[in-house]
Amino acid sequence: PLFIPLAQSDMKDYKHLDIRNTVGNVPMEWYQDYPHIGYNLDGKKIFKPIRNKDELDEFLDKMENPDYWRTVHDKTTASDIRLTDEQVDLVHRLQKGQFGDVNFNEYEPSVDFFTNEVMIHPVTNRPQDKRSFIPSLIEKEKVSKLVHAIKMGWIKPRKPKETTPQYYDLWAKEDPNAILGRHKMHVPAPKMRLPGHEESYNPPPEYLLTEEERLVWEQQDAEDRKLPFLPQKHSCLRAVPAFSRFIHERFERCLDLYLCPRQRKMRVNVNPEDLIPKLPKPKDLQPFPTTMSLVYRGHTSLVRSISASPTGQWLVSGSDDFTVRFWEVNTGRCMKTLEVGGAVKSVAWNPNPAVCLVAVCFERTVLLLNPSLGDRLVVSSTDQLITAYEPPEEDKEQAVTWALSEGLEHNMGHRLTLTHPKAVKQVVWHGKGDYLSSVMPDNSSNLQVLIHQVSKRRTQNPFRKNKGLVQCVSFHPLRPYFFVATQRYVRVYNLIKQELTKKLMTNCKWISSMAIHPGGDNLICGSYDCRLAWFDLDLSTKPYKMLRHHKKALRGVAYHRNYPLFASGADDGSVIVCHGMVYNDLLQNPLIVPVKVLKGHQITHDLGVLDVTFHPTQPWVFSSGADTTIRLFT
Amino acid sequence: MSQLQTRFFTDNKKYSVDDVPFSIPAASEVQELSNVINKLLEAKNGSHSQIEFDFLVRGQFLRTSLSNHMEAEGISTEDVVEIEYVERFTAPQPEECMMHDDWISSVEADSEWILTGSYDKTARIWSLEGKAVMTVAGHTDVVKDVAWVRRDGLTSLLLTASLDQTILLWEWNSERNKLKARHCCRGHAGSVDTIATDPTRTKVTGEEEEVEEPPSRPRKKQKTEQLGLTRTPLMTLSGHNEAVSSVLWLDSEEICSASWDHTIRLWDAETGSVKTTLTGSKVFNHISYSPLCRRLASGSTDRHVRLWDPRSKDGSLVLLSLTSHSGWVTAVKWAPSHEHQLVSGSLDNLVKLWDTRSCKTPLYDVSAHEDKVLCVDWTDSRVRHQDNNTHLACINQQHTSSLY
Repeated sequence: PLFIPLAQSDMKDYKHLDIRNTVGNVPMEWYQDYPHIGYNLDGKKIFKPIRNKDELDEFLDKMENPDYWRTVHDKTTASDIRLTDEQVDLVHRLQKGQFGDVNFNEYEPSVDFFTNEVMIHPVTNRPQDKRSFIPSLIEKEKVSKLVHAIKMGWIKPRKPKETTPQYYDLWAKEDPNAILGRHKMHVPAPKMRLPGHEESYNPPPEYLLTEEERLVWEQQDAEDRKLPFLPQKHSCLRAVPAFSRFIHERFERCLDLYLCPRQRKMRVNVNPEDLIPKLPKPKDLQPFPTTMSLVYRGHTSLVRSISASPTGQWLVSGSDDFTVRFWEVNTGRCMKTLEVGGAVKSVAWNPNPAVCLVAVCFERTVLLLNPSLGDRLVVSSTDQLITAYEPPEEDKEQAVTWALSEGLEHNMGHRLTLTHPKAVKQVVWHGKGDYLSSVMPDNSSNLQVLIHQVSKRRTQNPFRKNKGLVQCVSFHPLRPYFFVATQRYVRVYNLIKQELTKKLMTNCKWISSMAIHPGGDNLICGSYDCRLAWFDLDLSTKPYKMLRHHKKALRGVAYHRNYPLFASGADDGSVIVCHGMVYNDLLQNPLIVPVKVLKGHQITHDLGVLDVTFHPTQPWVFSSGADTTIRLFT
Repeated sequence: MSQLQTRFFTDNKKYSVDDVPFSIPAASEVQELSNVINKLLEAKNGSHSQIEFDFLVRGQFLRTSLSNHMEAEGISTEDVVEIEYVERFTAPQPEECMMHDDWISSVEADSEWILTGSYDKTARIWSLEGKAVMTVAGHTDVVKDVAWVRRDGLTSLLLTASLDQTILLWEWNSERNKLKARHCCRGHAGSVDTIATDPTRTKVTGEEEEVEEPPSRPRKKQKTEQLGLTRTPLMTLSGHNEAVSSVLWLDSEEICSASWDHTIRLWDAETGSVKTTLTGSKVFNHISYSPLCRRLASGSTDRHVRLWDPRSKDGSLVLLSLTSHSGWVTAVKWAPSHEHQLVSGSLDNLVKLWDTRSCKTPLYDVSAHEDKVLCVDWTDSRVRHQDNNTHLACINQQHTSSLY
């Protein structure tokens, strides 16, 4: 606004010069690099004046020129212009906010051309048109069209206005406990502890260490000390020496800052009791054996193996004192003692109630005994069964020799003697009672397991290859399967198809014992590394559950025939009874609850319980131990 | 010290005192009460000698102080307390020790003789003084149970049951000390573990009843007399799933049997059908029936002696549980002459004498045995003039049978 009147005044004063620039209102910087500054009315270049005024000249000009204050630099022409008095006045007026024109009177009286009052007479007296009284046909047509469109639903009535506000509080609905973003996770660096009285140069006497405390402090490890320094008393602040551990302490502080947690770990708040699976109380799972009731004494060396008769009236035990003893279960009376020629490794009562036979193995012999206990008819029919054997016409070479006992041995109860080529460790019966299997552990041969048929006096070796040191074998209670436990695996063979069906990985270092559930779909394995593995054969080849209840190596495991119970005996002298319920529903996994630890056996030569077996009908468990006793828990 | 209004009464006329209320210190115990009664009796009868009494408050023996007992039983101390007193049953003392060579499986005593069965395949007859009179040998296996059948003067009939699946009926003449095997009863498919004789022993045909421990279907058999040497069962009672451990006659029409299948069954002797089944939770080892109080006592493997009412129609109701043993209760026997007393033997080497009016603790523990107790029985002498006239024959594995 300042420029235009100047230009106008220029026109008046410098009409003759006429050096008006025609470039217009453009930034003059555009012509910085040119020698001219614009174009005049004739189209000729306006050259920049030769600038010879430096700062010093400027200063001198400012000091000496009395009109300096009214000199204005004109950028368009790059010339200095001295303002006239009128122009200075105009500037002053404008600066004061007054009108530029001196003669303009802003307070002239106003003339009211159109009154605001309503007159009685109209301004024009023209009568109203006729059409202003007649409804418009065009409008009517338009309205009816709209009405029709609305009726047909072509036009929607106006949508209600959205009530949601355009702006809303982003964090209004936010859970105050929720973690949103890093800033909430931020944990400020831990602050240094404020110095206490003991850090004073002149601490109160109670903070000073006595001589004893000082000795203790010096003997302690740096980490165990309550204070990282010794409080010391100085007479005045001047006497305090330089802090020798300053660098060290700073370094530790830096380490603290570096290592301190900077993020809040969101720990899930879980009640530890919720994590424990809901198991029924042992009280609700009765009956199971709880107390020791009877002790069967008589053996003079450790009792390796026990087996109960199918009626539950008798018990047979084999011991390292070269004897096999028969016990009456309900009184603990030893009914019979048989000397055999070696430490008895395993005994097994024939599970068939119509046959009265006990298999005993010692050294290289498997002996079939008729204990003559129980029903006379069964005893005599068993003897008949054995004597009724007729040798086949062609004699095949067999791995073992079958010999019928006669004379004195027959009177002692010996019936058949099977002499094996190697030492026999275990003997088991098939559920039907005609077949039995014997184990001769040997790492270097395929002759480790033999299956014998008593009625035909036949022996066969089911395996052609050696798959490792066989620990124990077992027959499937219902189907023609055969379980072979080597050191780390249990292999399940189909005896009819003669093929390997399954290989169970036990994750144990050395299997000691194995038992098959009477239903046949579950299996437990005890191992020398204190573990008991439960396999669900339908589920997986890996253990369904690993129980580590025993402190020492497991020696024997057993299932109960009717009750949902299983027991394990170990070198720590205890028998652990567990409730192991198997459901008919395939979707429901077995329920395993440890219910009772039965103690009673003394540990002798680091051996505790060597074998466990259940009573066939009652919820009672027998255990035999290295302390030469057999115990009954009911 | 508070006082209680008490009134003493007794059934025994010999020791009755006046029926007047006395004021007794509430803290007084049995000994003090006994002194009170003795003082009263002395005042009444100068020649009275000191006698120990036991006291019953509402049918329960007093074992603590009177106030404690009444608090425990919830009896009001405001009223006059009726206290019954009886002569104290003195502790049984071992009288005789009868040595056997082997374990004793069973004992049956009557008023003159004691019959024992042993694991050395014989049964023995002893006099009450503990003198071996006769050895009954004939079985080829362990004798499991013995029973007297009847006695006609000097001739007695006795039964022995054995593991060799037979029962032998013997006739024994006590004067000439002659023994004759009369019959051999066969029919069991397992060892015969228990026998019981009909209470009406006067019948011409000696009826005996026996039970087996066979594998599959235990049956009970009843035999009749035949002319031949071998007899066969009159009736077989089948129904138990497992071994039968004990049988007895309730009366001449009813038979009761206990089994390892956790049940006690009552049978009709005429038809051989099951009348009632009492179901327990543990194996029953032995049962005994008292015609005096009409209750059945059972000893089971869970260390309790339980009392049952065999007549109750509402199933298996345990009237009372006597708990003190720490091993299997192998034998129970009601006293033949006392309706509240029974004796129990256990594998924890103890014989306990119980009074059903004091069910918390036994009256006496008899701990003379050094090994398992397998069977117990009472003998009752003809005249009760001394307390220890009631003999208790009790057998254990220490090869002894002792008289108390």
